[in-house]
Amino acid sequence: MSILNRLAVTSLGLCALAAPVLAQAQIPAPDAGAFARHAAAEYRQLARYPESSRVLAPGAIDPIREKRMPTKQTVRGPEGTASLSVWASKVSVEVGKPVDLFAQISSPARPALPLEVTGEIANAAGIVAQVTYHDDGKAPDVKAADGIWSVRLAMPAGLEPESAESYMVRVKARLLDGDVRESAGGFLYSNPAAHLTGRYRDSIVDGNLVIAAQVDVKEAGRFHLAGTLYTLKGEPVGTAQAAAQLQPGRQWINLSFYGLMFHDRNVAGPFRLGSLAFSTTSRMPNALNDLVENAYVTKPFKLAVMTARPFGDVKLLDAAARLEAE
Amino acid sequence: MAGRRFILGALFTLALAAAAGQAVAQPCLIFVHGKQTDTNTYTSYTSARNYWVNGTHDFVKTATKNFATPYYVVGYNGTRPYWEAQSAGEVANEIVAATNGIADGGGHRCTKTYAQGGTFWIIAHSMGGTVMDWILGNNDASDPNFNFNGPYDQVAQRASMVITTGGAHRGSQGADAVCLQGNVLCSFIAIFIQSCDDATYWLRSSDDVQVRTYANAPAKTIWLTAGYEAIFGSSACLNGEDDGVVQYASSFACSGSATASYDNTNVCNNSNKQEASGFANLDGAAENHSDERDDSDSDTRRAVPTGIWTCSGVTCAPNTVVQSSMTTARFISILY
Repeated sequence: MSILNRLAVTSLGLCALAAPVLAQAQIPAPDAGAFARHAAAEYRQLARYPESSRVLAPGAIDPIREKRMPTKQTVRGPEGTASLSVWASKVSVEVGKPVDLFAQISSPARPALPLEVTGEIANAAGIVAQVTYHDDGKAPDVKAADGIWSVRLAMPAGLEPESAESYMVRVKARLLDGDVRESAGGFLYSNPAAHLTGRYRDSIVDGNLVIAAQVDVKEAGRFHLAGTLYTLKGEPVGTAQAAAQLQPGRQWINLSFYGLMFHDRNVAGPFRLGSLAFSTTSRMPNALNDLVENAYVTKPFKLAVMTARPFGDVKLLDAAARLEAE
Repeated sequence: MAGRRFILGALFTLALAAAAGQAVAQPCLIFVHGKQTDTNTYTSYTSARNYWVNGTHDFVKTATKNFATPYYVVGYNGTRPYWEAQSAGEVANEIVAATNGIADGGGHRCTKTYAQGGTFWIIAHSMGGTVMDWILGNNDASDPNFNFNGPYDQVAQRASMVITTGGAHRGSQGADAVCLQGNVLCSFIAIFIQSCDDATYWLRSSDDVQVRTYANAPAKTIWLTAGYEAIFGSSACLNGEDDGVVQYASSFACSGSATASYDNTNVCNNSNKQEASGFANLDGAAENHSDERDDSDSDTRRAVPTGIWTCSGVTCAPNTVVQSSMTTARFISILY
């Protein structure tokens, strides 16, 4: 361990004095074999559903929507001083649409007001744009002097990617006291090869609820569709996903929501397709279409038409059996 | 989900009791290293093997109970993004080879193949965790990047589970700092990361490079353990507890912001992960990012929310010291 490490350890050790440290000398180690059986039990639960469609627990968040919601990247200042958070309005922005960029200085101890906030947008080739953020209440800034600085970026012409490209947003905030904070976020600039047309239809197939979505394909490729089904009261019920190789033209992709989820949650239709994420996945990074919310409401269904039979994923059941035999 | 987790927790407790004193068979351990600053671990088995060694300390030796357990060491190009052929593709191919009984570059092999009923535990450090998220989250024909550059489906079928130590599941604020090139304090991170190469770029905490943006929930459970021994200097750049390179929000695969500040008391539980299923907490260790993979620092371990340690029959309260001196390698060795 280096001297630096020892300093850090000492520091941690002092902090630990205040922690609820316990007299644990006799805490037993996890039992050999029990860990494997625990994993096996989890697999037996998961095996009730196909990997393409899973039930959500009551109160669970919508995982499809969650993945498309931008998050803040925060860099803290030294010793509890002001931190800088940056984020974009979308995880991915489609070619031809603007993206809004935000920055916020936060200081729990004392106010730390930025004097100016600037940003550089860069890809692997270098800087492609520079922006100046404002906190003046003019769009896209929501409220003047609320500490959230904003700028709307239209990507320069000529940067349209073949599929998608990642852009890093390097932000610098100069504070009134002369300090500088820097943080980095980013967004995906996407050029999807297909779009949802807005046409949907539903049916029951083998006891499962199948929602078909029509897509308009301009270039052949591989495409992925994922959706979350809600009750009309707004409770997420379950998810389904599908992928397909499609040729140009209007095509349909089927999302099959496994029937058992409706029994497990004891809910019958009609249902709302609350979030729908479409993407072109022929190459990496994938090109992501904008998330579609509240895309469709199904017909009403009786619970009896849905299968109550566990799927029995043979791969998971086999894995469970092997672990149990360990 | 909460109800199911309660039931599973009860099952686990029962299983603990039932298992007492029973002899158990051994899995084969397959080791997947982390980010590299050169291609040596890809071209040289010795380099890949030495990733887990520090002087006389040897993670593989300890985790395999002095080599009594069969093992295989994977080597891939750790300078490439986690999803590329020389990273994920290579890892997937090597794992399948291992499950077929083929020897690694050092002549070590899993003695019981998949066809013979073998079980395989993947042990991954740092970026190795991101690579495994990608593979196991793209193993099904319905996944966004199914079998993108390798036999992900076979890996998912054959791997029994994954254990990550300091896994960069949500990227690393260390990578952010290196690619930002702004904060002098963060230069300490260069010891581990050095430059904003392609692998580092794809390990940032921004949404557009996160593995969860391009993958589904992992097909097999990824068990999470992480270090909280800060490194003077670099830890100034990381939010919450960290191992000097990866912050808790990432190593415990939390939902929400990858830069959220967490410690042993409040890090995300098993119901608040980056995916709806497939991630589960083990514990936290007073190890830094190097210690986590070289067995050199036998130190305190602490409970985390919904972790594996039990106190008087129930899950230990978060931040409880559950061991006063135990490396992660040793910890893994007591799990089978």
